[in-house]
Amino acid sequence: MSHQTPLGTSVPPANCLDLWKEKNDQLVRQAKVAQDSHPPQRRQQLAQDALEGLRGLLHCLQGLPAAVPVLPLELTVICNFITLRASLAQGFSEDQAQDIQRGLERVLETQEQPGPRLEHGLMGLWNSILHASSTLLELLPVLHHLAGLQVALWLSTDCLGDLTLLLQTLNGSQSGASEDLLMLLKTWSPPTKESDAPLTLQDARGLRDVLLTAAAFRQGLQELITGSLQRALSSLHEAASGLCSRPVLVQVYTALGTCLRKMGNPQRALLYLVAALKGGSNWGPPLLEASRLYRQLGNTVAELESLELLVEALSVTPSSEVPPLLIEVELLLPRPDPASPLHCGTQSQVKHLLASRCLQKGRAEDAAEHYLDLLALLLDGSEPKKFSPPPCPPGPCMPEVFLEAAAALIQAGRAQDALTVCEELLSRTSFLLPKMPWLWEDARKGTKESPHCPPWVSATYLLQGQAWVQLGAQKEAISEFSRCLELLFQATPKDKEQGPASNCEQGCSSNVALQQLRAAALISRGLEWVASGQDAKALQDFLLSVQVCPGNQDASFHLLQTLRRLNRRDEATALWRRLEAQTKLPQENATWSLPLYLETCLSWIHPPDRETLLGEFQTSLPEPCDL
Amino acid sequence: MADLAARVDYLAGFCCPLGGLPAGKARVLGHGVEIFLSTGRELVYVYDREGRLLTAVYKFPGQVWHLEALALRRALYVLCARTGIYCLSLDQASKSVNQNGGTDEEREPPYPVIPVDPDTCVLPDATLCAFTVLDSVLVTLAQGPTQWKVQLFECPCPGEDPRPRGLIGEVELSTYTPQAGSPGQPGAPRFPPVLCCVSPPGSGALHGPFRGPGGFTLEGALFGLLFGADPSLLESPVIVCGLPDGQLCSVVLKTLVTSQSAPGDPKALVKILHHLEEPVIFIGALRTEPLAEDVEDPYSDCLVALGHHGRTLAIKASCNEAGNLVPELREYCLPGPVLCAACCRDGRVYHSTPSNLCVVDLAQGGAHKDPMQPDGGPRGLPSLLCPASLSVCSVVTLCVSSSMAEGGVELLALSAKGRLMTCSLDLGSETPRPTRVTAANAGRKIKELLCGIGTVSERVSSLKKAVDQRNRALTCLNEAMHVGCALLSPQEGPRPISCSITTSWLRLGLRDLLTANCLLDNSSGFRLDRGWTLCIQVLSSPHASELDSASPAVTYTMPMDRLGPGGRQEVTLTLGPGEDGVLNLPVTVSCALFYNLREVVGGALAPSDSFKDTSLDECPPDVLPGQEGICLPLSEHMVDMLHGLRFSGLSVPHTQAPGPLGPASHPVNTFLATCRRLDSEQAEPTSLRAKHLPPAVAAIRVSAELLRAALGDSYSGVSLCCATLQWLLAENATADVVRAQALSSVQGVAPDGTDVQLTVHELAVTDLCPEGPVQAVEIQVESPSLANMCMAHHAVIRRMQRMVLEQAARGSNPPDVRMQYLHQIQANHEMLLREVQTLRDRLCTEDEARSCATAERLLQVHRELRSPSLLLL
Repeated sequence: MSHQTPLGTSVPPANCLDLWKEKNDQLVRQAKVAQDSHPPQRRQQLAQDALEGLRGLLHCLQGLPAAVPVLPLELTVICNFITLRASLAQGFSEDQAQDIQRGLERVLETQEQPGPRLEHGLMGLWNSILHASSTLLELLPVLHHLAGLQVALWLSTDCLGDLTLLLQTLNGSQSGASEDLLMLLKTWSPPTKESDAPLTLQDARGLRDVLLTAAAFRQGLQELITGSLQRALSSLHEAASGLCSRPVLVQVYTALGTCLRKMGNPQRALLYLVAALKGGSNWGPPLLEASRLYRQLGNTVAELESLELLVEALSVTPSSEVPPLLIEVELLLPRPDPASPLHCGTQSQVKHLLASRCLQKGRAEDAAEHYLDLLALLLDGSEPKKFSPPPCPPGPCMPEVFLEAAAALIQAGRAQDALTVCEELLSRTSFLLPKMPWLWEDARKGTKESPHCPPWVSATYLLQGQAWVQLGAQKEAISEFSRCLELLFQATPKDKEQGPASNCEQGCSSNVALQQLRAAALISRGLEWVASGQDAKALQDFLLSVQVCPGNQDASFHLLQTLRRLNRRDEATALWRRLEAQTKLPQENATWSLPLYLETCLSWIHPPDRETLLGEFQTSLPEPCDL
Repeated sequence: MADLAARVDYLAGFCCPLGGLPAGKARVLGHGVEIFLSTGRELVYVYDREGRLLTAVYKFPGQVWHLEALALRRALYVLCARTGIYCLSLDQASKSVNQNGGTDEEREPPYPVIPVDPDTCVLPDATLCAFTVLDSVLVTLAQGPTQWKVQLFECPCPGEDPRPRGLIGEVELSTYTPQAGSPGQPGAPRFPPVLCCVSPPGSGALHGPFRGPGGFTLEGALFGLLFGADPSLLESPVIVCGLPDGQLCSVVLKTLVTSQSAPGDPKALVKILHHLEEPVIFIGALRTEPLAEDVEDPYSDCLVALGHHGRTLAIKASCNEAGNLVPELREYCLPGPVLCAACCRDGRVYHSTPSNLCVVDLAQGGAHKDPMQPDGGPRGLPSLLCPASLSVCSVVTLCVSSSMAEGGVELLALSAKGRLMTCSLDLGSETPRPTRVTAANAGRKIKELLCGIGTVSERVSSLKKAVDQRNRALTCLNEAMHVGCALLSPQEGPRPISCSITTSWLRLGLRDLLTANCLLDNSSGFRLDRGWTLCIQVLSSPHASELDSASPAVTYTMPMDRLGPGGRQEVTLTLGPGEDGVLNLPVTVSCALFYNLREVVGGALAPSDSFKDTSLDECPPDVLPGQEGICLPLSEHMVDMLHGLRFSGLSVPHTQAPGPLGPASHPVNTFLATCRRLDSEQAEPTSLRAKHLPPAVAAIRVSAELLRAALGDSYSGVSLCCATLQWLLAENATADVVRAQALSSVQGVAPDGTDVQLTVHELAVTDLCPEGPVQAVEIQVESPSLANMCMAHHAVIRRMQRMVLEQAARGSNPPDVRMQYLHQIQANHEMLLREVQTLRDRLCTEDEARSCATAERLLQVHRELRSPSLLLL
């Protein structure tokens, strides 16, 4: 391997040890040159060459029997190798553990005692070395450096038990001393290396600082997720006061914001979030956190505004900064998972959140626009760079997004558009739906069972009916509602066989939701009968809806009204008594969560004046108590 | 189905390694008049069908594993093992053809070998195992340390900046078990995983950004049933992965975009469709229903996956009794091992095994249509598949050529011998009609016939090889059968194949080792050849301190090397002492012959190995159920202290013989230790004990009459005592001194270096028999080491037991015995045994000081037990 080194010294080295040391120094300088070089390919190539050089040198050194005079150099080369490799791969792996283990075994070889068995693991090796090498003073600085890398490795793999033990040993404290990881890291002071020692990519003290920040941040996040907020706050403060890059600082500030919001200090949380937004280009997490904060404060305008900003922020691909060739805090952080407060999802997920919040908050026009944007984003395949995933697992499944969009459009008075969306949904899934004519043929032949179809299909017909209602087309509306009911009252599948698998099936078909869906369809049709003056048919539907979903008071109110109109006083009185009794009971809140489109739909068929109706009815009663 | 006639046309031959091309890594790809081809090595060939010549050869830095051409972008993507994906421009390829076509006509080799430019590497990644390219995205499958990872990149074009513009998304698939043989580092899978892109129907998918060369468009119903409503609504293609462990899983492409480059949640993104339980070789889709007249673009309605051992999965949408759409899954078993497969839209699947190229028709279910099934409903899959042979063997890679003739199918195939050929199948007319022979026709006909002869001869040679192999295996089995019969038949007299075991001492460096020499003597008329192994098991007695643990056993196996009739083979094993200088006797050495069925028969039973294919060196799992071979026990021999004693220092009594020096250490240390020992012999603990402690003694008495009868005439000429001693040490290799000097007392050295004294003398036992004193022989064992004394005593007793049993069988009658005396002895012994029991129990519970006393007492009881109170008659 021949590297031209303009930086290399020209003094001819005296012996092998010097030659190797010179080689190490030259490779370290090369890696540092690579750090600043451009373009990225060139940088990568240079760094890779340096890594290979270090690997070769290590090979050279480890090919000879271990000897105390060479060991400091050998361990330094190991440290440099691990540092460069981990930073190039942007993470630690099992290989690094093996490199460390090999180094430790080499140290033990020079000591007379037989090495501990492998079953003691790396910690066993560390123990025997650190307890024995009190004599090897010249090895101590580099051993501490290697221990720092070991700490980084264990930190990234969450081996906190071994980590604490190692730090306790490094600090020379007895077992049973402080187990606080941060305290241990703070008290650990790696000895300074001598001035003529071989060069290192990163010195032990710098590494210690990085470890402290990373450990504090990890610990803070963990405590934040488990809910020990006070401790999370102090850990995160520790992380924020440490040495870290701006993207990490943005994350720390965001986590602090989350923590303070949960502790009930929204103003202080806001300060941190503002600081985070000023901090860098990664605006996603702080903006999402801000929207949560405003939601908690009840400031819908600000909440939606931050969500809108977040959608925009996510459409910009962040310029990836070139990570330095060192062990950095980023390297030691856990991968973002959905449970983390720093997870902000994809653009379409946020868009969906924004749209659904608009719909929930009664901003129908905005909601409709956002839903249309979202559908365009999801379905537009012409521009491959705009690939977006659907708002997957945590959110509803794709058909439900369509239904929410339709509901929002109806709410916004755009019934025609809603019909289009519903038709699109049905046409795209038409092959999944039972083929009607053919099935009816089967039914005529006497097949008892009728096919099952997913609840969202019925819901689509319900929304189509509602759209027709808005357009004033009673006939079409009633036919859609009838179709919906027909599907809904068909046999539900007894066995949950394969079916069109979708993770939303459970959500859609939960019993409560199915009951409410049936009630909604019945009431909707009943209302149309009422509007067309066919009270008898309406009465039938309302009666059925009360039976189907006894918990739905709206059904009872509509029934009451119809009974009154038909002058069936006795039944009306009985029903009124029941209703009175129900309203006197503590109103159990709807704890079940219904799909958003269904909630929206239920709000349309809500009787407008329940209290007045009840009052009127009471006054019109001849004699309340005739028992 | 009758055998289909395939018209085979050889296009070119490519060099192939000895033993044929390995399956799994070779690729052939037809693209217009050009054929791209890789043989699993570093080269990618471009062959021009019109000119029937090689036009270019690209050399890559590593083995080429996969090729895909993207016609729209005029690009060829090449996966190079342990390097990454390269992208070549097809225009550039043809340009180089044009340039070289004119100038290089007379040059050798006839085609230029062009090393690829490292800059055309669009995705450097050493862990990639498979890829597929869609119009705008590149889907790769990489092998992580424990998991497969699907990654999605923006697809680079050959013209523009070749670097991939970025990772769009990634997800980790299931864990896999790393293949054996490469611990720590995942080796390259023998069969690379297979990727297949499946699109839902719809214009967006057909002409949109996800149109790829290797993809299929599935009918809506099947697509929805397999992957759910979400990809159907999103009109997103789905990547189906077939992994070497047999798993079939799917990833919806549009959901694979993840934020901040964090891998997505596998639980949400990856769906496992099926498990074939054998390496997946091929995934494809085809049309089984006849097409309606008005449909132009046939969507596939059946997804097919083939495993290496022939297990085939077909999935189709069908209706259950209730009228619900359900996926119909059917598994078939085709003759394996499958080397490669291809399918075309007409419902036929072509698959190649080492001996044949077969075609199965999945559309044939149409013939047996269920009359109850109403029209319009999808028909089921056939319940059975009948492969029809095309009479082409050992095709390692296959593709359905894009230029299909009218009503027929043309396959491009590469055989294991490196021959590129086209197979034209005339599916429209299965019975050849006689045609009028014209001159042009005749020429073509002759050429076809010649090609046919070539195919047949290649096939014949491979079949012949298989027959030869089977014959050889049968011969071997026959011989093994005879050997087994000869050894197992309960006939009297010496067995035809025997193994005798003797012991001797061997000096190895500065250590002395007791060795067992096993001499296998084949006096039968058969040859012990390939497949036979001599197994010698050495079972040492457990160490005194670990009585409960199982005794350690070591088995040595020696493959036989053509041991013909009358041949002998000697094997020497060292028994010890080990590093610690201790040899625990007795050691049982047992010999057996083992015949490995798998080695001899396995190859012949597996059709896969009927022709030599280095990639298929494994045996099908179910050929030899249960048993791997047969085992014939030969002999068993116990090596005890009497074998292990040495008498070399007999003439120089009581000095330290150059005995074993404990652990084999550095020569200098040994030297120093020897010096030290010579300097201060008194300081040695063993010698100290020898000086100051009374030696352990045990004795055994045997009636002289019994001994005389047992020894018979073989020891005539010496006194009974000498004869007894010689008999005891008969199997000891170093006991010549005893024989030569007619001793009645001898001192030997135990394996650990302490002395053991054996003394034999005659005496009369008075109070046993009512008739008067009985003449008896007392054998006394004495050693300063209690352990050695015990071992020697045990060895003597074992011999006595054997002798008594033999004499009893011969029917000698003992003299009358005074029963009362015997009763008393028995009572005494029972009492002593009880005491031993209580002492041992106490020893377990007591502290150190008191246990010392107990141990002392135990020793004493032990000594009493061994006192020669009983006489063997």
